[in-house]
Amino acid sequence: MPEKIKIVVNEDRCYLCGGCAGVCPTLAIEVHSTSWEFLQDKCISCKICVNACPVGALSAEPLEVSE
Amino acid sequence: MSWKYDVVVVGSGIAGPIVARNVARAGFSVLLIDKKWAIGTPKQCAEGISIKVFDKYDIPYDKRFINREIYGAKLYSPSGYELELRYKEVSGVILERKVFDKMLAYYASKAGADVLARTEALDVIRKDGNIAGIKAKHEDEPVEIYADIIVAADGVESTIARKAGINTYAPPHEFDSSYEYEMLIEGFDPDLIHLWFGNEVAPRGYVWVFPKDEDRANVGIGIASDHPETAKYYLDKWLKENNIPMRKILEVNVGVVPVGGFVKELVKDNVLVVGDAARQVNPMHGGGMAEAMEAGTIASKWIIKALEEENLSLLQNYTKEWWETDGKRLEKVLKVRRVTEKLTDEDLDLFIQLLKGADAEKIASGDYGEVIKALLKHPKVLMSKRRLSLLKELL
Repeated sequence: MPEKIKIVVNEDRCYLCGGCAGVCPTLAIEVHSTSWEFLQDKCISCKICVNACPVGALSAEPLEVSE
Repeated sequence: MSWKYDVVVVGSGIAGPIVARNVARAGFSVLLIDKKWAIGTPKQCAEGISIKVFDKYDIPYDKRFINREIYGAKLYSPSGYELELRYKEVSGVILERKVFDKMLAYYASKAGADVLARTEALDVIRKDGNIAGIKAKHEDEPVEIYADIIVAADGVESTIARKAGINTYAPPHEFDSSYEYEMLIEGFDPDLIHLWFGNEVAPRGYVWVFPKDEDRANVGIGIASDHPETAKYYLDKWLKENNIPMRKILEVNVGVVPVGGFVKELVKDNVLVVGDAARQVNPMHGGGMAEAMEAGTIASKWIIKALEEENLSLLQNYTKEWWETDGKRLEKVLKVRRVTEKLTDEDLDLFIQLLKGADAEKIASGDYGEVIKALLKHPKVLMSKRRLSLLKELL
């Protein structure tokens, strides 16, 4: 099992181009006209979006598991 | 708010307004929505398109969205060998997508379609196991749009098709990451588009200069989306290495392009998927406007038939016809892409040199037979076992 992660956006770099949502296998990212949204419960920690972002605006952070 | 239409089209890029226009012309009620507040803005495109599409898809040749007429292309290999493909006649144009997309939506609305910008589709509405329409939001106001037929033309994200249960998944290698500046640039023939290849230049893709003026161009790059470095990194590196000043940047454009994972089932019950959302893009050059127009034309033909005959099962013919025509062509192009992406820089140098002897017109029109013929003519010494096996994959 890959480590559970969350995807974080650097809003100053992000153009809301929608590419991350396009490559995401599970619809875990929604790109609205003025905002970027990550849906943790759908994410499968594959990090495809992190590599695909044309400007490197996304990064993966370890998910803190609540006790 | 709750509305009812025969057809709702999600996304007003290229495919969406073509469908909306054609269906409205046939007398059916259509609503075309887009989440952008200005249709066409921002662009995510190099803006080059073949001159043929205007007649073929009944689009006016309107100077308001044509920046420049183009007479061919120039290709550059990693070590600087060049191949120029120049025609006597105009072969393509560089559009102004911001105006072009808006005009396509304008043509749809003139034909009778309703159009609503700043309206984001959020989900599908399910009723009794069927999809009865879509939930959307105009500004902050929720809207329910009921329709007999739903067209998902919502671009690479492909949200509505996926929420309707159409499988539009493609692996990351079947996408390109793209980055582009619209900028002032000098020293390149403004009558040609310019393409640079090389594994250090643009892994799996290319760098482009598409002139919009004598000294202004879209300068961009596409690389495989599963590459660990970013598209921006490679474009900035290329500009720097070529001593091209980055002091006059008018726009920055970003996007991800599907380049091969064509959607198998383009229709599910009363939902159709077209354009980038259906991954209907040329896998070699990453252009998808002509493909979107073609798919939109086929889709609208079967939407009109299905509505006229009140038989939604006719919609399935869109999948069938697309795969028998443009899908078949694009599968062949994909096969070529899968071979060309294996070429080393040395191969690319050699091939560009050898292709000088081939019929440029045929190559430019996508006649890869001509390419192979030119390559096979060459002394065997250049043709290693590996190269020959790559060529055989093409046949």
